[in-house]
Amino acid sequence: MNCWSCQKAVGPEDVFCPACRVLQPEPPGADLFSALGLSRGYDIDPDDLEARFRARSRQLHPDRFARASARERRLSLERTTRLNDAYRTLKDVRRRAAYLLKLLGKDPVVEARTLHDPEFLEEQLELREMLALAREKSDQRTLALIATGARDRLAAIDEEVARLFAEADPGEEALLSIVSALARSRYFENVVAEADPTAPPAQPR
Amino acid sequence: MARAIGIDLGTTNSLVAYVDDRNRPQVVVVDGKKALLPSAVHYRMDGGIEVGGAAKRGAAEKPVDTILSVKRFMGRGPGDIQPEDRGIYHFDETGSLVKLAVNHGKRSVTPVEVSAEILRVLKRRAAEHLSGPVGGCVLTVPAYFDDAQRQATKDAGRLAGLDVFRLVNEPTAAALAYGLDKRSQGTFAIYDLGGGTFDVSILKLTDGVFEVLSTGGDTHLGGDDFDRVVAERLLAENDLSSSPMLLRGAIAAAQKVREALTYQEMIEIDVDLPGGRILRAKLSRDDLEALIRPVVERTTETCLGALRDAGLAQNGGKKVDGVVLVGGATRTPLVRRHVKSIFGQEPLTDLDPDTVVALGAAVQADALDKGGRDDVLLLDVIPLSLGVEMMGGVVEKIILRNSTIPASATQQFTTYADGQTGMVVHALQGERELARDCRSLARFTLKGIPPMPAGLARVEITYSVDADGILAVSAKELTTGIEQKIQVKATYGLSEDEVERMLVESIEHAGEDVAERFLVEWRIEGERIIQSLESAFQVDGELLSPDERAHIEKRIKGLREAMTTDDYLAIKAWIESTDGASKAFAERRMNKHIARAMAGHRVDEFAGQVRPPDDQ
Repeated sequence: MNCWSCQKAVGPEDVFCPACRVLQPEPPGADLFSALGLSRGYDIDPDDLEARFRARSRQLHPDRFARASARERRLSLERTTRLNDAYRTLKDVRRRAAYLLKLLGKDPVVEARTLHDPEFLEEQLELREMLALAREKSDQRTLALIATGARDRLAAIDEEVARLFAEADPGEEALLSIVSALARSRYFENVVAEADPTAPPAQPR
Repeated sequence: MARAIGIDLGTTNSLVAYVDDRNRPQVVVVDGKKALLPSAVHYRMDGGIEVGGAAKRGAAEKPVDTILSVKRFMGRGPGDIQPEDRGIYHFDETGSLVKLAVNHGKRSVTPVEVSAEILRVLKRRAAEHLSGPVGGCVLTVPAYFDDAQRQATKDAGRLAGLDVFRLVNEPTAAALAYGLDKRSQGTFAIYDLGGGTFDVSILKLTDGVFEVLSTGGDTHLGGDDFDRVVAERLLAENDLSSSPMLLRGAIAAAQKVREALTYQEMIEIDVDLPGGRILRAKLSRDDLEALIRPVVERTTETCLGALRDAGLAQNGGKKVDGVVLVGGATRTPLVRRHVKSIFGQEPLTDLDPDTVVALGAAVQADALDKGGRDDVLLLDVIPLSLGVEMMGGVVEKIILRNSTIPASATQQFTTYADGQTGMVVHALQGERELARDCRSLARFTLKGIPPMPAGLARVEITYSVDADGILAVSAKELTTGIEQKIQVKATYGLSEDEVERMLVESIEHAGEDVAERFLVEWRIEGERIIQSLESAFQVDGELLSPDERAHIEKRIKGLREAMTTDDYLAIKAWIESTDGASKAFAERRMNKHIARAMAGHRVDEFAGQVRPPDDQ
């Protein structure tokens, strides 16, 4: 690739042209991982992710380009928008998993439609009945128990997903297990949101 | 060189600040000896406009022609105006915009125009103080301002002839001033209770990055509400009916009472009301607190919501590392105690809650002007979710509240009827499920969808929010590639044409006013140039040949003569000519002084003082 401004060669990792220091567009085909300088993968250290987000923000943010050329301002806006999207997606483990599945050709929403798990649904119905009753009676103790239980289940799901992604080359079966785990996590997220008014709102995927 | 400024355009008071040569933010004294310019605009019968303290002092006498708290009307439609805000104002009910009728209906003004008058004065005072024209500008807005209110604020800036670099949320600006001052790290809550708006933001400060985690607020809650409840009580105690006219007098009395009770336990004063009546105000701090407690308590839910959204409310609420108070109303002792009870710690009050927002705005304006500062970066969020109306009036959220901006998101939609060729895109802002409960931002129709069975067309709608928190929407039909893009202009906002027309009108209407302003600005600039050249002649006169010096002195003489006239264009032309003639002199001086200053120093000691060429 060549710099749009001075035409000198620019590498795919170069945010700025090494010759003229002008901001470059994101290389074609880059995913959200590369927006943060990461290679594609589920295992991400949250502190490292946050540090990368801050470092990239310092480089790309429109505040640094208020006096720059129109083209650089536009690139800064585009790249920062993308960076924010990447950080939002990757910092949440389940959104990250859903995004990875999409990159691997499995749309978690579409795939989940074909899942049938009557046992799980039965359990959910019972749980929701308990939840409704506790909410009606403002039974804080039971609500707290339900929330804790759902959080434990979410933690177990997250562990399962991490284990499946850690397999050398997750096959069709492993990917479908992840789809199923993420679909189940959605139910527990809703339970937490309803049982614990102090929980932050669940993020869409 | 033009200097960047930061403006806090407040409901009751406005301020302007800048960053001085020693890198410290400073407020500009704008009104007598005060930095606070009352946000009051008086439209005089003779066509003149009075802004600030004079206008506010005459407000009780000229209640209809004096607009106070205009910020409450910004970006609002006629149907949004709360009864208590209508007050004594007369409204021009024609058209879809809020217009205030003044001067017996002979003139009608939009809130954007009224705000622009305040901004013009601030800009002028800044220019006078800085002895030169002002450069780019940062305007602050309540964090909870929606798209329409932001757009209106930006329009007001433009109308006032300001180059608006950026809108910054008030609590974020305050955090910036505060964090820089204290070199803080950690998670902070900013509790900002101003005259008419309440905001709370939770921020994480790490190595100079100010990341807003969540924000919440109420654009209709503030110190004004304290004054209103106190005023109503005073009127009732004096057996006076609450006519809008008397209420305005009583509100002025309430302000005095409230300020006094910040520092004393009891107050008893008589206040003259319009029409020769006297209002006896006797109130203890306990009485005051009983009256305003319900208003203060309205902030609790918002704070807890912001903590929850930031993920800090669980397990009994992990504490923030500090709470910063912003806004004049936070001086009230009850407010301080309330904040302490919510966040479980004594709030920080080292900085003046009245000026901290403007100081932060100045820091940000300066940073933007210099192409960013290495030690600070603000990462702000949108306060309210953005969505699109679906069949049946429900709202599908496209960008969630508290998303870091700039942000963008795309969703696909399809047609619901066979052969449907158009699709209405209705953009909304708010958290509620139904479109009728959210704020309507814009509506447009994507046309030219080829007729096909229902559910087959693929329409992609993209929402993009820029760094000011302002939305643009585009819709694209994927099978044909038909695309429409609009910069959302609020349903009740001014169109581009209207802003344009107002700009033209304001120049025509106040042609003399503008000329006068330029005259003042260019005279100041001329004076500055003459002075600096004369002192340069004394110090470095040997750098010029007699001919060269005569050449410059001839220009100075011309400039002096022009400055005795009212012709600002002539002054400007002579300034430019003098500048041009003395350029070589300035370069020689620069070389001489650099050579002298560098003797005995290493080059890298100067690195921090030399601005890279792209900053110019």
